[in-house]
Amino acid sequence: MDERTRNLQTQRRELIEKVSDNVVESARPLIDPDTKPEELQKFSREVTDRIQFEANVAFSEAVTRFAVRKLEKQVSEAGERMFERFGRNFRFQHMLMFLSVIFLIITGIPLKFPSVGISRFIILDIFGGIQNSTLIHRVAAVGLIIVGVWHLGFIIFSRIGRRDFWLMIPRPQDIKDALQTILFFLGKRKSGPKFHRFSFIEKFDYWAVYWGMVIMIGSGLVLWFKEQFAKGIFDIAREAHSDEGLLATLAIIVWHFYNVHLNPDVFPMSYVWWHGKLSESDMKHHHPLEYAEIIEAEKQKVLAENEPRTESAEKQP
Amino acid sequence: MRWGRFIAALAGALIIAGTASAQEKCMVCHGRQDLFRKTEAGRKLSLFIDTTILHHSIHASRQCVDCHVDVVAIPHKQAKDVNCKRCHYSGNRAGAPQGQMYDQYEHSVHGMEVIKGNAKAPVCQDCHGAHDILPPDSVASSVYKQNLPKTCGRCHIDIYATYRESIHGRSLADGKLDAPDCSACHGEHNIQRPTDTTSSVSAGHVSNTCGKCHGPVGVVAKYGIKTDRTATFEHSFHGISQIMQNMTAANCASCHGNHDIRPAGDPKSSINPANIVKTCGREGCHPEATPQFAGGKIHVDPTKKESGLVYYITKFFTILTLSTLAGLFVFILMDLFRRAKQARTPH
Repeated sequence: MDERTRNLQTQRRELIEKVSDNVVESARPLIDPDTKPEELQKFSREVTDRIQFEANVAFSEAVTRFAVRKLEKQVSEAGERMFERFGRNFRFQHMLMFLSVIFLIITGIPLKFPSVGISRFIILDIFGGIQNSTLIHRVAAVGLIIVGVWHLGFIIFSRIGRRDFWLMIPRPQDIKDALQTILFFLGKRKSGPKFHRFSFIEKFDYWAVYWGMVIMIGSGLVLWFKEQFAKGIFDIAREAHSDEGLLATLAIIVWHFYNVHLNPDVFPMSYVWWHGKLSESDMKHHHPLEYAEIIEAEKQKVLAENEPRTESAEKQP
Repeated sequence: MRWGRFIAALAGALIIAGTASAQEKCMVCHGRQDLFRKTEAGRKLSLFIDTTILHHSIHASRQCVDCHVDVVAIPHKQAKDVNCKRCHYSGNRAGAPQGQMYDQYEHSVHGMEVIKGNAKAPVCQDCHGAHDILPPDSVASSVYKQNLPKTCGRCHIDIYATYRESIHGRSLADGKLDAPDCSACHGEHNIQRPTDTTSSVSAGHVSNTCGKCHGPVGVVAKYGIKTDRTATFEHSFHGISQIMQNMTAANCASCHGNHDIRPAGDPKSSINPANIVKTCGREGCHPEATPQFAGGKIHVDPTKKESGLVYYITKFFTILTLSTLAGLFVFILMDLFRRAKQARTPH
């Protein structure tokens, strides 16, 4: 026993004595004055023991709960098998995209509602004038254009990109899935449809962004180099840029924020954008067809590896 | 002897003043057409007062000494400048018009120049006249709408020459009294330099000033001129920049000019197809402007069918946005509803 432990024990004993004295003092009006001092001491010891016991139970329960929660988390993150959903390349595309889009929105939307107080606050007080905010808008636009070109390169030259783009193409099954989902929401079906790698919701998200990128970059370039275009083209580009900008902003705030932040499954945030991984249970739950395909492929691979050995084993004798 | 004559003259003057009407007494001398004095520059200055003019002025009922208060004896020395403020101040009891214009004048560019000691700066009489002063709605008044440009032009001669040829000047001369005179844009007593941010013709305010006639409640509709000009301007990037206090962006005057405003059909107009490329291509604006860029319609209203494709694009996006968001909202609500129901039912 070292000195520190001994010290702690003395402190503990002193504390217990203090508490028991206090218990006796505060209980004195209720106690028969004829009670013997030995009985009184016994009573106070019982009370302090009880307090100590309750405190120990509460503390250990808190510790256990915390440990269990941490354990659960560790099991789901490390213990459970994780499936890579988004590779590093794709995650960097997403990061550059949301950085650009955040700046594009906060420098762009105020110009659609210039008379509103908060728009003037953002442009005049935060950015210090429309010259600055439009410059930032153009810098962010370059970021978005880079993402667009990068992604086109990704879906053409990368094997994973080509595979994912192929899986992204809408199919008749997606319409069936959408209808089944609505029926499920309305309680007409026991369960929702089973999805492959990309559900119809994710396909909608992807193609909405695709459409938005084409409209925003195309019209934005016309606005940027307006002197090279006819006034009629400029007017159309301006209207499209302004309206599609608002649509994209609202879609991100309503739809994307619901799916990746506010949805009870992921609240407060899905971290897939950061580590790019889905747990086995998430895979089974959200992408059962893809999960089954992966497992089947692995099974086939294992079988294929084992087959020659058995054949050679048969041929040996 | 000299004192005696002076006292006699003074006494005589007082006696005359006491008996006959004061005006008649002044007219003893000032009714003579050959009365004049020599100015310091050596020129002859007529001191003749035409009583018919005087009697038609708004001050007909006033006496000479009501304004020329320093003249207390006949003969008198050179009279001092008349101070109109003796009666014309806000809250006066002399029956002069009430209003802010007296204070406004003192803070205007004209009043400030007078205070600084600029001898050329105009005082009340320079615009309103002296003995011939008339109310502004009287056609003979120097500040009557159709006469005002000429009055201002006495000092601002070049501007008057330009203005007279402009659509505003010509319309006013034609008797269209809705057309703006100088004060319609610049203000009356509160005139400020255009570079002063409080001026009605400063970069920040000029679109409001033009909008008084060319805006939603504008009077120009009467003459078949469109009244959506300020709305379409505010919708444009030029207008948005103005709202965001960027005064380098174009305002009405940047393209249409100021005193030389002419309709687009006029070959001398800054917005005539022959000149529009030059106008848009001004230094600091769009030097790379091409005829295709500058030649298109400028005041486009996307909410009007006549705007063509722009109108349909706007409609398309309105429908697309509303339907998409409605769909997404319903989808989210259904999802949440399903989750809530599932959470309530025991497993």
